[in-house]
Amino acid sequence: MIAGHFGFAAAVKARAPRAPLWALMLACVWLDVVFVPLFAMKIETIENLPGTASGYGQGIIHADYTHSLVGALVLALLFGSVAALRWRATVGAVLGGVVFSHWLLDLPMHRADMPLLPANAGHLPLLGFGLWRWPVASALLELALVLGGTFLYGAAARRVADGGTASRARLVTILILGCGVLTLGLNLLGQ
Amino acid sequence: MSFILGILLFVAVVGGLDARLPWPKARRDAPRKDLP
Repeated sequence: MIAGHFGFAAAVKARAPRAPLWALMLACVWLDVVFVPLFAMKIETIENLPGTASGYGQGIIHADYTHSLVGALVLALLFGSVAALRWRATVGAVLGGVVFSHWLLDLPMHRADMPLLPANAGHLPLLGFGLWRWPVASALLELALVLGGTFLYGAAARRVADGGTASRARLVTILILGCGVLTLGLNLLGQ
Repeated sequence: MSFILGILLFVAVVGGLDARLPWPKARRDAPRKDLP
């Protein structure tokens, strides 16, 4: 899931207008941002399902640090703490919450590959409800998050915009929808 | 590619344009009263 996280962040902006949207957008994919260097170092890996090429939801993701429950909580706490230093404590709490929302939104999508503890310590049961087995359903869920986030953001942006910024508010709303659909489309194509 | 593109579009482009809308400010640097 990529686009769905961005849709959720747009929805949060409507309820927490003091939190900068760029920071919300970064927060919602922070677990994946940290995943990238660990993936490059082969500390975290993606294993294609037998008989499939890499594609939308067709992998077992061994992100045993970034996407473990405790790892996600630690990353959320760190992100939220840094944000609270720069902005208000409430904004830090919102951004930390959005970081952790990534884990919650991934939970229904992932096949059972999300550990509770970093490095899957203790070999406890792995989590993930596996909605990716049904790509149409998971893509529709992501699209719903994009559409819902766009709608809520658009309504909030219209309320705060004045005569000089109304067109910019419309542009940002349209871009959230367009970028969300584009990102989801590329993701579905396996890009 | 969708991940990198998503980051660039949403954080830089969308977030950058949104920052110029008149949302309430979140900075901690509210002005303090000067000491006498």
